[in-house]
Amino acid sequence: MIYLQYAANGIILGGLYACIAVGFSLTWGVLNIINILHGAFIVLGCYITYFAHQLFGIHPFVSLPLAGLMVGILGYATQAGIINRVVGQSVLVTLTLTFGLDLIFNNALILGFTANYRQVVLANPLGTVEVAGIFIPLDRALAMVLALLLTFGLYIVLQMSRLGRAIVAVRFDREAASLMGVNVMRTYAITFAIGAFMAGAAGSLLSVVFPIAPITGHLFLSKAFVICVLGGIGSVPGAAIGGIALGLLESFSASIVGPELALTVAFVVLIALLAVRPQGIMGREDMH
Amino acid sequence: MADTLLEVSNLSTGYGDVQVLWDVGFDITRGETVCLVGSNGAGKSTLLRCLSGLIPATAGGFRFEGREMAGRSPQDIVAAGIAHVPEGRRLFGPMSVHDNLLLGAYLRHDKDGVRRDLDRVLSLFPILAQRRNQAAGTLSGGEQQMCAIARGMMNNPKLLMIDELSLGLAPQVVEMLSETIRAISKDGLSVLLVEQDAITAFELATRGVVLDSGRVRLIDATAKLAENPAVQEAYMGLA
Repeated sequence: MIYLQYAANGIILGGLYACIAVGFSLTWGVLNIINILHGAFIVLGCYITYFAHQLFGIHPFVSLPLAGLMVGILGYATQAGIINRVVGQSVLVTLTLTFGLDLIFNNALILGFTANYRQVVLANPLGTVEVAGIFIPLDRALAMVLALLLTFGLYIVLQMSRLGRAIVAVRFDREAASLMGVNVMRTYAITFAIGAFMAGAAGSLLSVVFPIAPITGHLFLSKAFVICVLGGIGSVPGAAIGGIALGLLESFSASIVGPELALTVAFVVLIALLAVRPQGIMGREDMH
Repeated sequence: MADTLLEVSNLSTGYGDVQVLWDVGFDITRGETVCLVGSNGAGKSTLLRCLSGLIPATAGGFRFEGREMAGRSPQDIVAAGIAHVPEGRRLFGPMSVHDNLLLGAYLRHDKDGVRRDLDRVLSLFPILAQRRNQAAGTLSGGEQQMCAIARGMMNNPKLLMIDELSLGLAPQVVEMLSETIRAISKDGLSVLLVEQDAITAFELATRGVVLDSGRVRLIDATAKLAENPAVQEAYMGLA
């Protein structure tokens, strides 16, 4: 029975992880940019939600669109103004750039918000329900549902909309896409903005679960990285499955071998998976 | 010259330090099919890439419906009514045939017109209607070329530029595609056809431009080019 509890915890965590990873995965898949800034975007989303809650009493799930939008606009400006200058160059160049931007951003966060840990403490928590012997914390479960809805929403946008077609086309063949009249640079900026929006929104949801400090950005970044590679780069269903897989992995390994080793176990599984299925669970070899 | 659609004058371009085209000049009249003939490396594809804005002109320019278009972005050029069916088809392989066709109409906002053109290209190429929800990458070579031409036509262009219509395709497929090109040009669409197979090209086009080492060598009616001994020897495999 205790294993069902671990599974429930893992799935709740995993839904949040999916939302953390999906924007990172999109940026990586479409722009071929490993966005080191992603963790900082998540933390910024957390802070926006935190202060909206502290100063104005706005519930984190209500300020989520605001956090997503603000971080998304910042993402658009970052891509259009800075990263587009080196887009299409080798991963080393773009990685170094986003790494440098992350250093600046991270220090700005520390300057602005200090290095102290903060967490949203809800005035009226929903509490916990017991279903068939499994305890489910309702606020976290609601955060997971919202996270999965956001992830599903992104999937629908990519599959069904004109913008989604343009993003997929640019990803597959940017020159052919521009022959269709797609503005490649603007599509890159919009894609990066969507990734940043998802990071900011994920930050809102995380603020009710985890204590946040600027430094936690790197923790989220490393998780997003693992999930992406687990699930397959650039695939939304892959990020969802990879996220839930990591959540379950962490939940079980935290209970069995101890929480301090949970991320280590995740990386060991990642290395093992890379040896047998390098394209990830949902990844396709022809998409690289 | 009220009916001149495209007017290329003294166009030069290249990649970095490598100049590929020198002082290229020719024009296309509304409704006319013109072919561009030349051997490998003559600069045919480079010329199309320059006309669709993928690479900038280093000198000279080209006017489309009287407007200077050199230096414009590919989006502006697509919006002006030039569609480019690139060499190698360049379909979006993982996307369905339907989505590929919709991407051809990316800049259009006239929903009814797009639906009408979709019906039109699917009746021109009935096989695409059958394959509509199939990933474009799984089509046969001939079907991919049909899909690429149909995608170009979804822009409802005034000028359709086709790079290597027949390359790697079976003779029956080339014959079928040629019929389609004739049909659409009869509807008033201008076509600029790049073709290594001069015999096919001369059958389809009324005039031909012969490119050699990046320069225009000859411009003439295709009937006359076909009788020109130098052209016969160089491009038609006849001595």
